[in-house]
Amino acid sequence: MHLKKLAAIAAGIAIGLVTASAAMAQAVTLNVWSDTPRLSMFDLYGKTHENTKLNVTTVAPADLVAKIQLALQAKSEIPDVIFMSDIGYTAQLSTRRSNYLMDLTGKVPQKTVDEFYPNGNSPCYVNGKLLCLRNDLAHMIIWYDKPLLDSLGAKVPTTWDEFQALGDALAPKGYVLGSGVESFPLLAFLVSDGCDIVMPVDGKPDTVKIDLTTDKCLKPARMVDHMIANGSLTKVGPFDPAFVALAKAGKVPLMIGPTWFGEYVIKPTYEWAAGKLADALPPKWDDQSQPLTWSWGGGTYGGWKDTKYPDQVVDLITWMAADVTNQTAAVTFPAHKPSSLAWGERLKTDAYYASSDVFDVQVKAADYSHPGYATLRFSVSDAIAKITVQSIAKGGTVEASLPALQTELTNLAKLNGYTVE
Amino acid sequence: MAATAIEDRNRARAARRKGRRDTRMSYLLLLPYLLLLLMFGIFPVAYAFGLSFVDTIEMVFYGVSNYNFVLTDFRVPQAAINVIWFVGIWVAITMIGVAILSLMLDTVGRRTAATLRTIYFLPGAVTSSAIVVLWLFVLDPAVSPFQIAWHAFGWQNSADVITGIGLAGVFSIMAYFSGSGGWIVVFGGALSSLPTEVLEAARIDGANRFQLATRIKLPMIWRSLVLMGVLSFAGGLQLFVEPQLMGLAGPQFAQNDWSLNQMAFQYAFRMGDFGASAALSTLLVGSSIIIALVLVFATRFYKID
Repeated sequence: MHLKKLAAIAAGIAIGLVTASAAMAQAVTLNVWSDTPRLSMFDLYGKTHENTKLNVTTVAPADLVAKIQLALQAKSEIPDVIFMSDIGYTAQLSTRRSNYLMDLTGKVPQKTVDEFYPNGNSPCYVNGKLLCLRNDLAHMIIWYDKPLLDSLGAKVPTTWDEFQALGDALAPKGYVLGSGVESFPLLAFLVSDGCDIVMPVDGKPDTVKIDLTTDKCLKPARMVDHMIANGSLTKVGPFDPAFVALAKAGKVPLMIGPTWFGEYVIKPTYEWAAGKLADALPPKWDDQSQPLTWSWGGGTYGGWKDTKYPDQVVDLITWMAADVTNQTAAVTFPAHKPSSLAWGERLKTDAYYASSDVFDVQVKAADYSHPGYATLRFSVSDAIAKITVQSIAKGGTVEASLPALQTELTNLAKLNGYTVE
Repeated sequence: MAATAIEDRNRARAARRKGRRDTRMSYLLLLPYLLLLLMFGIFPVAYAFGLSFVDTIEMVFYGVSNYNFVLTDFRVPQAAINVIWFVGIWVAITMIGVAILSLMLDTVGRRTAATLRTIYFLPGAVTSSAIVVLWLFVLDPAVSPFQIAWHAFGWQNSADVITGIGLAGVFSIMAYFSGSGGWIVVFGGALSSLPTEVLEAARIDGANRFQLATRIKLPMIWRSLVLMGVLSFAGGLQLFVEPQLMGLAGPQFAQNDWSLNQMAFQYAFRMGDFGASAALSTLLVGSSIIIALVLVFATRFYKID
């Protein structure tokens, strides 16, 4: 009797030890390069997954590609999973010379991929392969000061013509509707009617279309020129002290900005008081049935193609981008729709906003995300800064700078190994 | 007689032995520097030179393909012109500014000069990256202490100021303020070691302070000025931090391919093309060396009067 019991206990302990050691043997360590805002998310993964240990290093977002290049060159200390703050990094880290990223096609469950917003993962596809998963969306919407706009007797524009007309009406009174020189808003204006400013061509690998001579480009360019000329768009960027002073003084009733502008620029930098800020769908052109909106930012997760633990890497990336519990606490609008719906609950009751539908508007606007918001091996916004912004600063126009911009972009595309159509 | 001959011979031998010992000693003292020069100066240059003929992915001989790639890159000629403008402006204002300030400091009281020299040196003690950020504020009429000056030119925002002065001019001013203080200290030393009897004689002959500075002191320190020019030139060709950090003033100011060194950085760390980067770096080092040699021989720099 006693002996049997003892034996059973001994056996139990033995089995326990065996399974424990088996679990120990399975525990793997992944090297992760993260930025600061994502640290708590990686931390949560480590706490909820006992078989995977994460060795997280914080890397300055702008240094990521350079450090990966060095690691690849040195063939050591190459991270298994990275967070990429710039959508261009995906293309820059999947070339012959810097072949880092793992192809996630077929590895991430199709059901999960389908749960992302339409075009949410557009910066992750390179020549038809899924190379990353998007962390957050950053599509452009209208942000406005509701009480101020009401007191001016103005309505939120739904078309770009109305947007321009609003500028015409308010500019003489000293109001502005945003910046006309920051490269990202400028790019967002330019592509709003489907201008082919370096758009990947479907089905043709490494091929882009660049054509800035069409009406689809000239129309928005002329609108920006008109609005800069009458002062309704500023000649300084949205982070420029002069612009911040205007915004603080209540001289910016309305502007086009990405989804993160409300929480991370207007609230802390422009210091708008609670109960003012509201948002609306991006405007559309008369010939469009619905708006087409560009984005400004949105990070992604990628893995190393030669990692020792591909399954764990895919699991970590999928969890980071598409785990509802994890993404509910994220800092910016999740790209994974079910996560974002849970994430947005807190905005609905946030007294800072002037209306309770702030989040619903952002969800609806996400459907209009531009499919051409893709990853490229060179930066279109830097080219705009170099050519168009300098042209504006010298008193020129956006329209007049388009031929030079087309030459610059075509040269850059060819230099980086693209075929230009 | 014979005795003195032997004595002479012995003395000569002893002198030779001492000379040899001195040479050996000086090499020994130079050794740490030579080792560091070899490790961090000559070896990297040789390594880059070798790398510039290699495809760094397959590690196969690539001929002059890397050089071809660099020289056909449409951005390189513009970057070269930018850098030449910058070096031209910067070396000119450094040589003129440092010479004038040093000569003027040499005429004021010793204590005042020492204080002023320390003040001039202070900006140089700040790293150049911090200087850039500081200047971005100075150049913005909205927050700048020189607001009145910018407004007088009709410049309302930082874009106006930057286009007004020109990027080469802006980077020259930034580099001048971070670099000139150190040189003013060096020239303070050079000027105070000038022989006092020559200066006395000039003064007795009726030379005033201006004549003393331009006719006596300047000709005695011009060689150091040339040295400063050569070193500034070599440093200027490697311009990197100032344009690279322009993006901090806002994405609309980002200049990632303004200078040649930035292009080398882009090749290596954006495109992963270390071969092309090495090719461009080799071209840069090569032109630096050639121009330095031309200057040194044209001015007979090492000739002893």
